[in-house]
Formats: sequence, structure tokens, C-alpha cells
Amino acid sequence: MQTNKTINETIKIFHGPQHPGITGNMSVELDLAGETIQRAKTHVGYLHRGFEKLVERRTVIQAFTIVCRICVPEPDINEQNFAAAVEDLAGIEISERAAAIRTMVLEMARIGALMLWMGGQASSVGLDIVPQWCIADRDLILDLFEELTGGRVYHMYIFPGGVRRELPEGFLEKLSNLCDHLEKRMERYDKIFFENATFQKRAIGVGIVDKNEVIPNGYSGQVLRGCGFKHDVRKDTPYLLYDRLDFEIPVRNEGDVYARALVRREEIRQSIGLLRQLVLIIPDTTGEIMQKIPKHRKFKLPKKETWVKLESGRGEMGYYMAGDGSEKIRRMQVRGPSLIHAYALLERLLVGSELADVAMIMNSLGICPPEIER
Amino acid sequence: MNILASLQPQLCDKFETQAFDLKRDDLAQVIVEKKIWRAVMDYLKEEAGFVTLLTITCTDWIEEERFELNYIFAHETKRCDLMLSFSIARDGESVQTLTDRWPQAEVMERDLHEMFGIVFEGHPNLASFALENWHHTPPLRREFDTLAFVNEHFEFRKGREENVDVKAEAKRLRALKKAKAQAEAEAKKEKGADDADE
Repeated sequence: MQTNKTINETIKIFHGPQHPGITGNMSVELDLAGETIQRAKTHVGYLHRGFEKLVERRTVIQAFTIVCRICVPEPDINEQNFAAAVEDLAGIEISERAAAIRTMVLEMARIGALMLWMGGQASSVGLDIVPQWCIADRDLILDLFEELTGGRVYHMYIFPGGVRRELPEGFLEKLSNLCDHLEKRMERYDKIFFENATFQKRAIGVGIVDKNEVIPNGYSGQVLRGCGFKHDVRKDTPYLLYDRLDFEIPVRNEGDVYARALVRREEIRQSIGLLRQLVLIIPDTTGEIMQKIPKHRKFKLPKKETWVKLESGRGEMGYYMAGDGSEKIRRMQVRGPSLIHAYALLERLLVGSELADVAMIMNSLGICPPEIER
Repeated sequence: MNILASLQPQLCDKFETQAFDLKRDDLAQVIVEKKIWRAVMDYLKEEAGFVTLLTITCTDWIEEERFELNYIFAHETKRCDLMLSFSIARDGESVQTLTDRWPQAEVMERDLHEMFGIVFEGHPNLASFALENWHHTPPLRREFDTLAFVNEHFEFRKGREENVDVKAEAKRLRALKKAKAQAEAEAKKEKGADDADE
């Protein structure tokens, strides 16, 4: 009888990879005692496409077409990181106008990604109307992307040397109208989601991150800002046009799921504000949108290494790149925030929490598996 | 004063660095020999304020028979990053683990072990990361040829039986078009000649 008892003390279940409450294709192996999690272990490998190896066999311009696929909700951060690394190695300086347009694209992508997050977070607590609204509002951003770049999801617009096309006629006006629309919608989202009693009851006090771990372990994005640390790559080491723009870093002290949600809500507002400033700045910017770059086969990177990073919608995203004097990239490594959040952080946070909260906690960390297994 | 610029003389006095490359205002690379990397890292963490381990990268310089390991650290103010680099032999040389200092090193070292075959001494569990039951050459080493591996292990699908060879079909269509144009031109010419006769 004693043996039976020990066997039945914990039950092992797999949360994912096929599960509506998981962000992308990964799984968490859970040891449960009743409803409480005793041990959690992250597993990846369901989505390994070998980007880093594929890049090694291709020329710079061929590799460029691959990198945006690393993240579906927000592909432009990868294009910008790739372009910034190549420009740093090859010594290309982009014009003010190209930098301004890139900043605009990145902010549009950030709002799109945060809208998708809002949908995921709301459906993880059972508020099923919010994802439908979010997807509809995100589609308006995608419409603008389609007009600007020709693509809705993958844009391939931020190219080493600048951006690929000039803004279409009347684009900034449409962007300004979209900002008005989104600002109005945010008030409705406050009522239906952020101030919703269901969400508050579920999220407040759940998934609290230990503040002492945050800086040494390299947590970033909303996890960092939700714990009271006022850091954002856009402010700390400004890139593109961010040093000329006026925005605040939203901070909360609680460190729980709700704090991270409120930080994200404020970030959407800040991004709308940034877009409004850019609408005014862009017409006055000067310079060619695209610098002269070498022809495809003659685009060679010197034997140098570099590391670039930026603030994505989920946290700090960095690229390491090494050239070897040939037209191919010797090594490119992608370091997204998810690698650390899904292992070092998620495995700790889940211990002691309830099975029903797993999806909510995962969503609040913004984990994106394609970044983990590049 | 810039953190990295002021770090340079201190670090170069204290340790025998091979190079201190100030790449940008917010990025520098320190190249050291493998035997002192732990000491340099301790100094960076305890005294210079580089408290965050961002990532570990490895570059395969196969022609020089070495791997270059890059440990990228962020300063506590988040205003600059530092790359600490050293080389190891491509085969048979192991590196001490960093899991005792930073928990996130656990997954980064597992990744490098799987992709390059580097052994990290003292790592609690170098289990597979993204690949499953992989017994071939570690895939990110330069000698691993993806195309050869695919040709050896997988078959290309033949496609449907009624599929046509695209190249041959294009050639046939071009020939057809050419013949048609030629016939038309001849017909026109004849017609023209007839008109002239009339």
C-alpha cells in the first residue's frame, strides 16, 4: 500500500506543444500534486528551423530574406537588428529619413505585437471577446503595412543601407487617423480587459518575479519594468531616432502578471504618442532612403565581430554577427528575451502555482519559441 | 566619463589582455587567453559592474582550427555591453561552466554543447536542447554540410506522374511559339506578294 501512495503523490502532465494555452510550439512538463505544480521543465525542439545554419550558406542579401521569419508577431525587429549588424560591420551610415521611417515601422510593429499579446492574455483567463477585437484592430495596422511594404505579416522592408521604398502618398495621414482610432479603442480595452474584475482577480499577486534576480539573470522588457526597474534599450542606448523623441518608460513595482499587463497597456499608449511625433517629424527629414550598397555577389563583410540590440515588444533582442572577409556571414546568433524567460524564469515561477495559471503566466512573460530554437 | 573608456586602462593594467577593442560607445571587446578568462570575468562581475550575462556565442574558425567563445555581459546601468572572447581548440578542449554564477548559463551551454560539441565542465545536465536523438556531427560546426546530410538521409519526392519536366516543357513551348511566329510571317509575306501581284 505504501508504494501505491508514493506513486500517486504526483502526476506528470505535458502542457503543450498542442495546447490552446501555450504561446507557439513548446511544452512544459509539469509534476502536479493535486492542482499545485511541484516541478516544471521547459522543452523546445518542435519548431527548430536552423536559421543560424541557413544563414551561413547564403550571401548577405539572401540571408536577409530569412531573418524576418524568426518572429511572426513582430518580424521587423529582426530586420532592424540584421540591418544594423551588417551596417556596423560594413561601415554603412543610413540617412536621417531612413532612420525615421525605420523608427515608425518598429513602433507600428510594436503596437501590433502588443495587440496580439493582449488577445492571448485575455483568452488565457477566458475573456474571449478581447482577442477578436485585438485581431481586428491589429489588422488595421497590417493594412498600413501592406500599403507601405506590400506584405502584411513579413515585410522585408528594413534593408541594410536604409529602407526599400518611399512612403506612399497620404500614408502619414492614414497613420495619424489610425492613431486616433487606436487611442479611442484603448479606452474600451481598459473597460473590457484591464479593469475587468475577472482578470484582476486572476492576475493580481500571481507569478511574482523575485526582484533580486532580475538584473543579474538578464530578464528584460515588461518583466524588468513590472518589477520597478526603469530600463528600456530605447532610452539606455538610443538607436535610430529615439534620442530625439519624447516618451516615458512605464514602471510598476508589484512584479506580478497584472503589473506586466499594465506596463504593456501604457507602452501601447507611449507607442501611439511616438507615432504621432513621427508623423510630424518625417516630412522634414532629409537624405536618400537607401544608401549605395555593393552588388549582391560583391557585398562582402570584413573579418570583424559585432553585437547589436534593440527593445522589442517582449524585451531586449540582440544579434551577434561575425564576418570573415567573404560574401557570406560567418556566424549570426540571435538572442531573444524568450530564451531566458522560458527557462531560467518560467521554470521557477511555475513552481507552487496552480495548473490553471500556467497559460496566463506564460503569456505574461511574452515567450516566443522561434526565438529560443533559432 | 564613458564606462568602457575608463575600464580599458584598469583592465589592461591588471590582466594580460591580448586586445581591448572599443567598437562603439556602448560596446567593447576584450580578447584574453583561456587560462585567465575566469579571473577576468570575476573582476568584471565583482568590481567593474558587468553583472548580467546576456548570452554566450561561439564562432567556428575552422581554417585556424579554433572556436572563439564570446561571453557578452551587460553593465548594471544597462548603458554598455562587453564581449569577453577567448579561443579554444576545436576538438577535445573543455570549458568551465558558468552555471554556478548565472542560472541562465545552463540553457546557453546546453545549446552550445549540442550545436558545436563543446563540453562544459561542471554543468549539471548537458542534455539535448532543440534536437532529438542526434548522433551526427554537431550541426553548427563548419564541417557539417547540410546539403550532403539531406541527400544522404532523405529522398526527394518525385512528384505527380503527370508532372512535366519544366525545362523541357519551356523549351518545347518556345520552339512552338517560334514556329508559329515564323509561319505567320511567311503567310503575311505570301499574302503581301499576292496583293502586289493583283
